[in-house]
Amino acid sequence: MTVVLFLSVFLIAACGLIYELIAGTLASYLLGDSVLQFSTIIGSYLFAMGIGSWLSRFIDRALVSRFITIELMVGLLGGFSSTILFLAFAYTTGFRVLLYSLVLAIGILVGLEIPLLMRILKERFGFKELVANVLTFDYLGALGASLLFPLLLVPKLGLVRSAILFGLINAGVALWSTFLFRRHLPSPLIQRAACAAVVLVLAGGMAVADHITDTADSALYADEVILAKTTPYQRIVLTKWKQDYRLYLNSHLQFSSRDEYRYHETLVHPGLASVAGARRALVLGGGDGLAVREMLKYPGLESITLVDLDPEMTRQFSTHPLLLELNAAALKNAKVHIVNADAFPWLERDNGVYDFVVVDFPDPNNYSLGKLYTTAFYRLLRHHVAENGAVVVQSTSPMFARKSFWCINETLKQAGFKTFPYHAYVPSFGEWGYVLGTRRDWQPPTALPTGLRFLTAGNVRSLFDFPPDLAPVPAEPNRLNDQTLVRYYDQEWREIVR
Amino acid sequence: MPTRREFGATALAGLTAKADRKLEGAFVFEAPGQGVEAGHRLRDHARFAAPARRVRIPAVIVGGGVAGLSAAWHFDRRGFRDFVLLELEQQAGGNARSGENAVSAYPWAAHYLPVPDKRQPLVHELCRELGLLHDDGTWDERWLCHSPQERLFIHGRWQEGIEPLVGLTKADAAQYAHFEERIAGFRLSGAFRIPMEAGLAQNTAAHRALDGVTMGEWMRREGLYSPYLKWFIDYSTRDDYGTRAADISAWAGLHYFAARAPEEKGPLTWPEGNGWIVKRLLAKLGRYVRTGAMVHRIQRQRRGWLVFTGDTVYEADFVVYAAPTHFASWLIDPPPPRWPIDSAPWLTANLTLDRWPANHGVEFCWDNVIYNSPSLGYVIATHQNLNTRQDKTVWTYYWALADGRAADQRRILLGGDWNWWKEKILTDLERAHPDIRRCVSRLDIFRIGHAMPRPVPGAIFHPERIARARHQGSLVYANCDLSALSLFEEAQYRGVSAADYVLRNASSTATR
Ligand SMILES: Cc1cc2nc3c(=O)[nH]c(=O)nc-3n(C[C@H](O)[C@H](O)[C@H](O)COP(=O)(O)OP(=O)(O)OC[C@H]3O[C@@H](n4cnc5c(N)ncnc54)[C@H](O)[C@@H]3O)c2cc1C
Repeated sequence: MTVVLFLSVFLIAACGLIYELIAGTLASYLLGDSVLQFSTIIGSYLFAMGIGSWLSRFIDRALVSRFITIELMVGLLGGFSSTILFLAFAYTTGFRVLLYSLVLAIGILVGLEIPLLMRILKERFGFKELVANVLTFDYLGALGASLLFPLLLVPKLGLVRSAILFGLINAGVALWSTFLFRRHLPSPLIQRAACAAVVLVLAGGMAVADHITDTADSALYADEVILAKTTPYQRIVLTKWKQDYRLYLNSHLQFSSRDEYRYHETLVHPGLASVAGARRALVLGGGDGLAVREMLKYPGLESITLVDLDPEMTRQFSTHPLLLELNAAALKNAKVHIVNADAFPWLERDNGVYDFVVVDFPDPNNYSLGKLYTTAFYRLLRHHVAENGAVVVQSTSPMFARKSFWCINETLKQAGFKTFPYHAYVPSFGEWGYVLGTRRDWQPPTALPTGLRFLTAGNVRSLFDFPPDLAPVPAEPNRLNDQTLVRYYDQEWREIVR
Repeated sequence: MPTRREFGATALAGLTAKADRKLEGAFVFEAPGQGVEAGHRLRDHARFAAPARRVRIPAVIVGGGVAGLSAAWHFDRRGFRDFVLLELEQQAGGNARSGENAVSAYPWAAHYLPVPDKRQPLVHELCRELGLLHDDGTWDERWLCHSPQERLFIHGRWQEGIEPLVGLTKADAAQYAHFEERIAGFRLSGAFRIPMEAGLAQNTAAHRALDGVTMGEWMRREGLYSPYLKWFIDYSTRDDYGTRAADISAWAGLHYFAARAPEEKGPLTWPEGNGWIVKRLLAKLGRYVRTGAMVHRIQRQRRGWLVFTGDTVYEADFVVYAAPTHFASWLIDPPPPRWPIDSAPWLTANLTLDRWPANHGVEFCWDNVIYNSPSLGYVIATHQNLNTRQDKTVWTYYWALADGRAADQRRILLGGDWNWWKEKILTDLERAHPDIRRCVSRLDIFRIGHAMPRPVPGAIFHPERIARARHQGSLVYANCDLSALSLFEEAQYRGVSAADYVLRNASSTATR
């Protein structure tokens, strides 16, 4: 009996230390500077325990049932501490606030445990013996936990499961106490039921520990997710809301089926309709096949080469029934040749010359993508464009990222293109920009394919007109050794998102 | 906040499946007859087999590093073809050697060339020949270091650039400004040039006095005590000259900052580092080069020299001695005075990564430095690739063993086994990349006992250095350590000017 009693002390001491270590470790993983994190966490935790001990004086009655409640609270809060912190880190900006609140809350509860337990036990043991034994087992528990944590728990279980495991131990101690001290409990059954509930919740948490990030992931998209694929290159998510399909790559919206025709008609037709007798075309990026769908409206085109990095992307868009409907099965057309490759090195190896080239890469939000918007890339591209051919580059928003847009224009110019910037309104994106580049003088087309929903021979010219709020601003060209564009882009979107 | 989310997810996934992977690797260039072993045989005057073959030849170049190859380059472009270049190692290039595996080519030591300014005609000429500099005066973007160039891990996170910016106080900033101002003055003086020889005439007594004190002492005198600035300057002198600011001659330390006025954002760099230049030089000059040909004796004759290597002895009118200068007294008979400049031990390692460590904040840069680390950080060999996606990569890790005495550090360098060094390297990288061990599949280490001259006070204006750098007679020195500054440009300049001297004297001998 005595041993069992002091074993509880051992266990709750271990639990208490584990939560502290978990908070410290997570803080140093996520915030860096482990010395600072550990010392502030340990300090706050010990301080909170002091508050807990002090508070214990206000508990006068029903010591055992209070003790059990506190155990269960520690179990839940401590058990889910790493889960809560990870999610807070990923989804909120208040990680630090939450971290310290949690540390304080757990610390206070843990600080209450030992004084209460000592008072419960005081009838059974003499004071001298009680203090000696409780503190001995308290410190032993701490030693056990501190060895277990780095050697076994972190490497084998990870932080999420370790915390839950110790939450379960707290709940176990609570349950155990309902038997040990049943004489002090008016209705032990209620307490046992509460213990069982906490154990179940924690055990459930243990079972899904691995999926925690995944479930949280889908909470990010407001609509029903009908396709989600993680490829080595990106995360592809297709959502549906009523008749609106939306494609996200790494959580950046690529298109909405309600207005993508505006984007893609504007991307393709002003350029392609102006190149008389175009036969060979190239699409860089654009694995969704929507630009290709527009290009197939020109019967004179004999071949379209589509270069997209991600095989899964082009596979989904040539097989998934819903997606085939969106791109009118464009990628299955015999004229279309799909190449899955990284565009820059591919273009270096390729020796084709094309009458029309669509450059539809994701926005330049990092230096790797930024390479695809450099003078070096456009110079290389120029060698692949026929004398009277044209290229069109999706060039982000001249409204939200005005300097970035004009930077792309300037970069194409530096690479030797004559440029003709234009823009259109795409509701789900806002005002969107494109730059057309040619080797010779150029005039907008006077005729367009039939059946377009947005562009007409009459309104094409107006796309090239820039109102004062979108008008050119000076910008340095984007070069491999000085990627101005990525910096402009970062600045401009940061101002908007904030 | 996709990056934050991704990071949270990787941290979570990472913690559940942590297991150290098996790591392969070895020391490189340590086969018998190479590297350290060969050097020690020379030092100990080991016995070598008598030559079976005698070849008469107008000129021999000893050593196929950048200096030796530049001498060959100059001979060749002046139409002089009667020479051989003898190189000890199986591969020419010296400190600009490189390697290659399935993932990438990578440097073994020298990895970049600063964009030369207008006052460096030789480097300009070479760059034009290699297609790096266009006729219209623009530089080829392909091999200028791509963005983002440099970052520093400081206070638990990465910042852009290597000069510490995080946590600077007003006083720190004022000291940076003061330092910049002094440097601008030194730059204007014209005393600090590349090649260094070009500026020596501009040196006043005050400039010369800078070679009498250490950089650390100079900083104290200037009242520069900001810990960040001190770290930055110390990092720079370790990085370029393998010597701590507390030990290096102030003249040399200042030269690093004051000698360049680049006209383009650089530097020039390639996956294999300066090995790229070496490959191109070898493509043109390979026919003159004999590798695996250690010269073990250079003996003065009544006219000319006997140069002994393997089973051949070359009877040469002229010798361009481009091997490390401190070997000269072991090789040359009669021996020249002992070379007074000690050399710094270095360690480099190439790490092959099957996947990238988790990254937070500033993207991976070409050069990645860890604040207050004993090492110099790592350079990403795949940085100059044009791919937007790069699954695997090779990192070249640099460590100048600059603490205390060079000889002690050499003992540590050669005393630690591969496992010991591997642990040192991974533990150092773990400061910034806690998951590095799960990413690295191979780690090869190059130990360079005598990597480069240590320009301690007195080295620059040492009479022996000045005498050795002045060409006379029929054996001329050409290694870059004649400058006491280990730089590509110095190596090239020394090589070319030695070759030029030979050409002038060879023709005057011929016409006489
Ligand atoms: C780790 C490291 C990093 C560096 N990074 C850079 C950098 O990024 N940029 C830069 O400009 N400089 C750098 N340097 C400086 C570099 O040393 C010079 O740029 C240049 O490569 C030196 O060339 P060298 O020909 O003078 O000397 P070495 O490269 O030392 O060439 C000497 C050659 O002589 C050979 N040799 C020696 N003994 C004999 C013998 N007995 N017989 C025949 N051959 C012999 C050697 O094998 C070697 O090939 C670096 C140096 C080191 C050590």
